[in-house]
Amino acid sequence: MKILIAEDDQVILMLLEFRLKKDGHEVIVTHDGREALEKIDEFQPDIVITDIMMPYVSGLEIIGAVKSKYPDKMRVIILSGMGQENVVLEAFQLGADDFITKPFSPNEVSVRVRRFDTGRK
Amino acid sequence: MEIHLSHFNTIYFSAKMSLPLTLLSGLSYMGILIESLSILIISLLFFMLIFLYNKSINEKQHEKWRLIAGLLIRKAVFHDNEDNPDATVPLTARAESLMHNRHFRQLVTEELITTKKSLAGMASENLKHLYQQLQLDKYALTNLKSPQWYVKAKAIQELTLMELKDVLPKLYRYTNNKNELVRMEAQSATVQFYGFEGLRFLNVITYPISEWQQIKLLQQLSQAAPVDVSIDTWLRSKNSSVAVFALKLARSYHWFQWHDTILACLEHPEANVRLQAIDCLCEIYTDKTAAILKSRFWQEELEIQLAIVKALRSIGTEDDAPFLVSLLAYDNNEMKIYAARAVTHISKNGLELIGISASASGYPLNEILAQIKGELAV
Repeated sequence: MKILIAEDDQVILMLLEFRLKKDGHEVIVTHDGREALEKIDEFQPDIVITDIMMPYVSGLEIIGAVKSKYPDKMRVIILSGMGQENVVLEAFQLGADDFITKPFSPNEVSVRVRRFDTGRK
Repeated sequence: MEIHLSHFNTIYFSAKMSLPLTLLSGLSYMGILIESLSILIISLLFFMLIFLYNKSINEKQHEKWRLIAGLLIRKAVFHDNEDNPDATVPLTARAESLMHNRHFRQLVTEELITTKKSLAGMASENLKHLYQQLQLDKYALTNLKSPQWYVKAKAIQELTLMELKDVLPKLYRYTNNKNELVRMEAQSATVQFYGFEGLRFLNVITYPISEWQQIKLLQQLSQAAPVDVSIDTWLRSKNSSVAVFALKLARSYHWFQWHDTILACLEHPEANVRLQAIDCLCEIYTDKTAAILKSRFWQEELEIQLAIVKALRSIGTEDDAPFLVSLLAYDNNEMKIYAARAVTHISKNGLELIGISASASGYPLNEILAQIKGELAV
């Protein structure tokens, strides 16, 4: 699958990219929301994994944009910090497909992404 | 005295000669000034260029270091050490040599901590092992001895975030450090590692625990498994902030077994402790609590009296209505409002009782009655 990751923490981004590439996925990385929106239109990924708090464009705005332009084509998984429960609820209302709370295990991300892969099959 | 034409000529020629000389000397001073300024500006520009060049070199180096640190962290996170838990993360020669550089070590530490906050499970454990493998814990322990409070506080925070429980005996003594931020970090560390049992520093601290720190500790404890601890010593502590915190604990966790000791706090010399005790008793009360509060009413200052009336609203019964009705005649409007609200809350005839007093005394009770009716209607 083609996966786009939007995360402003460089090391977390690298870890997710490494883990998902190891699982055999094609991974596109972006460092902020604005870049993420551009690359979503360019690469049309199957899954978007996005942090909530990001420069320029937030994760919530990304969900809104993805679900309005590509409602059935793309899945969105959000990464949220502890204590952001109300934000998680809002994300689901906007159409997010799954969420992962920080601190998270990279293996957890791998399993959650695989779920969508088997769903497609 | 005769004035000759020659005198004028002399003066005229002297002036004519001295004017250019003056101009010349003035111009030479200007020249020197301009020259000095130019040298200064050129020197400044030169130093700025050197500074910017060094800054650019440092930034490039920093970026390279960040990459090295990131790769090291990645190796650690995905390090498979199931078969040999003691196996270390392989370091490149470059990384190993850079570990002697203080700035690189600082960068690695920051990246490790930031990443550890975001990861859980085996990944998080691996980062802790990497931290110890790189001996960053030893540097942090050295920093504990620094005379600068912010270095100490940062070291304590770092060791706590990396979950190095073994160092807690070294951190414990900082729970009563003269610097507030060092104390806060050390206290948070003990609670982080040991939950309720970590609160034993309350037995000995002499410095106050700030309101903010109390909130932080309560928040940390909400993540820990609740355990019954003895708060008797804390409730009787000479440190009033410890008593206040213990009362907050009793309230939050409904520790009814301490009801009598909490009642004793109503006699505490500090008003804030008495206030907190009243607040606590709103959650931990018996059928005698209301009577005890009423018996203390007339000995107290206004703020405490208001707190008692507020408490009676929560824990009072029909039997307390006459007392509250009598307060409608109190010479303070805030008290009247509090009493009126309490009466309507505990007595089914509350509004009638207020109405009787209002018709007898008029303003402001008639206004208060209207207000209460409005509140009840909403």
